[in-house]
Amino acid sequence: MKEKLRQLSEFKWLIPKGVRPAMRVNAIFYASKSLLDSAEDTAIEQLTNVACLPGVLEPVLGMPDMHWGYGLPMGAVGAFDENEGIISSGCTGYDINCGVHMLRTNLTADEVKPKIKKLIDTLFNNIPCGVGATSKLRLSHAEMDKVFVQGARWAVEHGYGIEEDLERIEEKGCIPGANPSKISSQAMSRGVPQLGTLGAGNHFLEVQAVDQIYEPSIAKVFGITNKGQVTIMVHCGSRGLGHQVASDYLRIHESAARKYGIKLPDPQLVCAPAKSREGQDYLGAMRAAANYAFCNRQIIAHWVRESFAQVFGKKWEDMEMYTVYDVAHNICKLEEHTVNGKRQRVYVHRKGATRAFPPGHKDVPSVYRSVGQPVLIAGSMGTASYILVGTDKAMAETFGSSCHGAGRSMSRHAAIKRFRGETIKRELENTGKALRATHPKILAEEAPTAYKDVDAVVDSVHGAGISKKVARVVPIGIAKG
Amino acid sequence: MRYKFLDDLTSDVMFEAYGETLEEVLENAALAMFSVVCDIKRVRPLRSMRVEVSSKDEKSLLHNWLSKLLTDSEIEGLFLSKFNIHKIERNDNLHLYATASGEEASPEKGGTVVKGVTYYGLKLEKIRSGYRAQVALDI
Repeated sequence: MKEKLRQLSEFKWLIPKGVRPAMRVNAIFYASKSLLDSAEDTAIEQLTNVACLPGVLEPVLGMPDMHWGYGLPMGAVGAFDENEGIISSGCTGYDINCGVHMLRTNLTADEVKPKIKKLIDTLFNNIPCGVGATSKLRLSHAEMDKVFVQGARWAVEHGYGIEEDLERIEEKGCIPGANPSKISSQAMSRGVPQLGTLGAGNHFLEVQAVDQIYEPSIAKVFGITNKGQVTIMVHCGSRGLGHQVASDYLRIHESAARKYGIKLPDPQLVCAPAKSREGQDYLGAMRAAANYAFCNRQIIAHWVRESFAQVFGKKWEDMEMYTVYDVAHNICKLEEHTVNGKRQRVYVHRKGATRAFPPGHKDVPSVYRSVGQPVLIAGSMGTASYILVGTDKAMAETFGSSCHGAGRSMSRHAAIKRFRGETIKRELENTGKALRATHPKILAEEAPTAYKDVDAVVDSVHGAGISKKVARVVPIGIAKG
Repeated sequence: MRYKFLDDLTSDVMFEAYGETLEEVLENAALAMFSVVCDIKRVRPLRSMRVEVSSKDEKSLLHNWLSKLLTDSEIEGLFLSKFNIHKIERNDNLHLYATASGEEASPEKGGTVVKGVTYYGLKLEKIRSGYRAQVALDI
């Protein structure tokens, strides 16, 4: 498939709709030549599958961190007409509203490093993580329904955060239109004990230090003022609840696609017409799961504040531990975009992709509106992460989207065979980083070299102009599930 | 060999399971999946749960059986390490009756979160020595 791509500019490649007769629109892959070379052919083929679906809008997009995923690749965007298009549980994937919440502090790395081991141990003890970990919270089903509707607001109203946090979360941490009645009893049962847990796999909690500031004036608006400033990143999602919603609706959408006669280019891309009951039911359930994820990250972020207060013996307010932003990486959103010169509402599926709205956009929080929306990019364990900002070019070319992280380059099984967890831990600790994980195997699975180079990924979206580098942060302490 | 992992998927996990009978291949597929979720060697069969699944054919039975185990084990808060399929009734549909055993889930015996059992590359085929299953997990 790769040989059929046409280079449009240094970081932009066209997959013309002619490469497959059933493609309704072109696809575009944003990547440097070397990232294109390392991308899987099967992932590029998956982009062309999405381009065959009814009501798909030009173009289907691949981001530089793209790798094969279930249905839609990870690191991809598929947008559909509000009336003629489809809504696809297959395109959103299993980890609904997996995302990143970032806090800043007024502490410096030099102040934090002497206590980093104690800090990571405290975070590890205060925030349940790993497979099988359960939360300190146990909400009733009625209370869970409130979480589904209110999202992060529920957390703030129950003492896990402040009003200002909500201003700095995508959709204010509460996507309208959530429908708790569309959440199955199994999803509910899985969700109750996991609200307020980090999870495992690629999810993590990191204490970081700013090591580069590329745009000081924009960084300042986000509260990032100096090199060495300590930040914290929480990377997790909607946990078993979201996985169950995905599983439930993959099944429903499989029958729906048959019922409505949608010809699926790939059976994994199950979907339903946007206006159909099956499409709207999924949206209601997915929004509920997404709001649960916003709430989950807000609760965890607040426990991070409390953990810092415990270790440093200061109030979190005195350490200025304020939210920089919280973004979703896996989601389907109804947004307004310009398509063929006309404004219209569009269902944008972002899977392993981040919203990247430009300066002046009404959905960018008023405190950031002059500079644009923060785009938070989580690196792999032990590597850099980034704060970028959305651009007008993203709005014009990518339905206001950018990349989300590093993206795997090696299977977990291959990583386990190749690396030893203890060695990875020692190597990271030798560079002065504190690390705590539930078991060493997860460290081998998540070895930094099993991922693409996050710097190269970010250079590609920056080079393509679909978001702009603001600051780079590096980990000084890591807690893994 | 009861199961083996394949390197075919960069982002997810794919395995093959084997068995002389349909029951055995399904039990071994469950074992393979839970070897990703937890350290099955250290998970003792202290608590049991009953599992019943119906499907239209053998391949979807494989999918539904694994999905059901994933969901129910999380709801019950269990890591599972032993699977015993008592019978598979065949009439219009296939009905599976089983017991799965394990112990209370705890992160120190945990592995990786399995988010779902996918249809990607899903296979259940008869081979000379019995059955071979292929399953991809989203993790």
